[in-house]
Amino acid sequence: MSEFLATAINQVLIKGQFVVLVYFLAVNGWYLVLLVSSLIEMRRHMLLIADESRHLLLSSTLSPRISILAPAFNEEATIEVSLRALLALQYPSLEVIVINDGSKDRTVEVLKERFDLVPVKTIYQQRVKTKQVRDLYRSASYPSLVVVDKENGGKADALNVGLSFAQGELVCAMDADTLIEPDGLQRMVRPFLYATDVVATGGTIRVVNGSEVKLGRVVRARVPVNALAGMQVVEYLRAFLFGRLGWNRLGGNIIISGAFGLFRRESVLSSGGYLHDTVGEDMELVLRLRRLSYEREGPGRIAFVPDPVAWTEVPESMRVLGRQRDRWHRGLADCLWRHRGMLFNPRYGVTGVFVFPYYVFVELLAPVIEAVGLISLALGLAFHVVDWSFAGLFYLTAYGLGTALTAFTLILEDVSFHRYDSFRDRALLFWWAMLENLGYRQVTVYWRLRGLWKFLRGRKDWGAMERKGFQKPVGIAETN
Amino acid sequence: MVDRHFLNIVMLVEIALLVLAVAVFFAHGLWLFLNHRRVMRLTETARQSLARLVTRGTINLEDIELLRQLRHDVQVTVFLETSRNLTGSGKERLRFVAHEVLLIERARKLCESRLWTRRLRGERLLSRMDVADPIVVKLLSDENAAVRAQAAEWAAAQPSPPIIATMLTMLADPATQARFAVQDALLRMGSIVTEPLAAFLETHTGLPAESGLRVAGAIGGSRFLLAANRLSANENVGVRVAATNVLAAIGDVSSADRLATLLKDPDSGVRAAAARGLGRMQHWQSGSQLAECLRDSSWQVRREAGLALRAIGAPGALFLRRAIKGDDRFASDMAQQVLDLPEAAATAAG
Repeated sequence: MSEFLATAINQVLIKGQFVVLVYFLAVNGWYLVLLVSSLIEMRRHMLLIADESRHLLLSSTLSPRISILAPAFNEEATIEVSLRALLALQYPSLEVIVINDGSKDRTVEVLKERFDLVPVKTIYQQRVKTKQVRDLYRSASYPSLVVVDKENGGKADALNVGLSFAQGELVCAMDADTLIEPDGLQRMVRPFLYATDVVATGGTIRVVNGSEVKLGRVVRARVPVNALAGMQVVEYLRAFLFGRLGWNRLGGNIIISGAFGLFRRESVLSSGGYLHDTVGEDMELVLRLRRLSYEREGPGRIAFVPDPVAWTEVPESMRVLGRQRDRWHRGLADCLWRHRGMLFNPRYGVTGVFVFPYYVFVELLAPVIEAVGLISLALGLAFHVVDWSFAGLFYLTAYGLGTALTAFTLILEDVSFHRYDSFRDRALLFWWAMLENLGYRQVTVYWRLRGLWKFLRGRKDWGAMERKGFQKPVGIAETN
Repeated sequence: MVDRHFLNIVMLVEIALLVLAVAVFFAHGLWLFLNHRRVMRLTETARQSLARLVTRGTINLEDIELLRQLRHDVQVTVFLETSRNLTGSGKERLRFVAHEVLLIERARKLCESRLWTRRLRGERLLSRMDVADPIVVKLLSDENAAVRAQAAEWAAAQPSPPIIATMLTMLADPATQARFAVQDALLRMGSIVTEPLAAFLETHTGLPAESGLRVAGAIGGSRFLLAANRLSANENVGVRVAATNVLAAIGDVSSADRLATLLKDPDSGVRAAAARGLGRMQHWQSGSQLAECLRDSSWQVRREAGLALRAIGAPGALFLRRAIKGDDRFASDMAQQVLDLPEAAATAAG
């Protein structure tokens, strides 16, 4: 009987390994396609923007008005610097709406003190149901600043309130602690000026940890010395530069980062605004906009623009990062489940047949397959089905192509924007890219599986994010 | 079991890819570093030479030769950054030097290229140096939208009647990018476009009219009255909204009468724009019509009508108070909200 069991396990492990390896190669092969696509797209984009005089056309008085929606929850440490940076953005017609989502700290007090806020009344139409608005303020010093103080209801609720108060044709949804580069909006608005069917655009998010920040501006981009932050730099580069850019050419994106996205306000409102009962409200909205564009035969193009940059602080502790990744994966699972009708449905064009299945089988289920692979490898070693040299070879083969592709992403960054200019940064970036697969990636697999498990159990909590603030260069202590 | 030989082959391919990537990554870094140092040195020397040539007004052949020998990208960088800070005779001298160092010639050649990306670069160079070259006029009808848009941007600094005429025909450009650039360029040209634009609007409808009306709305002026009146009755909603905005921007008594009529338009966007316009003009004679709009089915129209009544002053406030006591609860609610607004907020919202 035990011999039979051992043979059965042996067979399962052998076949399992094969499936896992084929899966890894297929996924990485697809990544290769994405990389080539992003290379073509990046070259086209760079040629298009070479010697462009943004201060003329993109700062035209005919440009659409943009309302920045910055939800703030317990952002006392960073709100002043972030907001000053927002108010100094180079865009001709700008409105900044800070939505205090029932912060328990001194966020509103800081805003009142530093920005001469005075209580005002206004008439607004609540097209999406939200929590109660407590007070509305305008700044006596900055005419374009509006602060809405409301009861806590989560980020989606705060954004919906912001949508009600916004006057702009376009709304920029962001996190209150995101640092947008001065000409970021000018660059991001391009697709809206160039096409009428665009409903949303997303820019690149970069990691601010370790960089030198002065007055809410990143004056020098540095690669963090902190391992967790460093590996996230690599992840972000990969996600934005070849992930989203690659999809631009292959049929469109369905993700726009919640930290920096520009939307046509009317499209968002007519689709029902942000959903409250999901932790992936940004992805859900984009997916809904795509879906409705097919169903209503209206505009619904989602464009990713690589050159507008927003900087965000990433977690440097395993606990906080774990919570974030777990939440992201729950959000992904939730969105895909809500819109499962799109899967392989030709009615939804490329999104249904191509993009949606990719997100299900690659993004959502990857941790499951990866975990199966790792566990079967460990079991294989335990049951002496495989020897150590084979296990090592299998492991390196499975992760090798991904590492090579990551290295190519670094090249893409280097030939396009090359923000990290010193040898030290270059070496660090490469170092983190190589180390990423030796432990970090496996831990993220665990977090994502945990997220999937929580989703299956119906958990919808966010988990807290801890901020250091930008007053001093983040991570500078480690750098020196 | 997965064949070890297969794994070895895959592994070798991966290693080769990785080594290639690493080599390219660091080699590119090294190239960037060395190139940056060289470019910085060249740029600094070039800046000094160009500054001498532009500021002194005398031609130093050595400086010209130095600039001529420069790499094209350094030439472009130096001339464009200098161009940003010059106008009038300074810019004229810069153009002369650019001509002497063959930069203009090279830009012209780029404009004639079969590749749109090169044409774009060439015209960007001519555009940012404000070079009035007929080759760019040809590019106004280029097959690529980005090239047409850039040509339109160039045209903003060359407001001659034939160019304005071409630009007006481009208001019907199928590409949004080109249309937007044309609108922006016409606006930048200033009052010189008023007459031809007004004449254009008097004879056109549809997309070109809608695009032109946006420019007219930003320019303002009673010269657009005839066209705006005509187009405010157009069947296209977008055209009617744009025409209403132009009527509001004109702020004339005759435009006010038309705006009052437009309060009954079937489209809520037009009605809201008309109410907003009347409020901006503080047209107290339209008080009763605006009060009627407080009962409108569209929230936006009710809001604009309420704010317009508030802007009118005492007569408007009277209508608002009456509406509060009226039988329509939507009108009553809006009137109450408008009256509750502090002065500054009402002005800002209006």
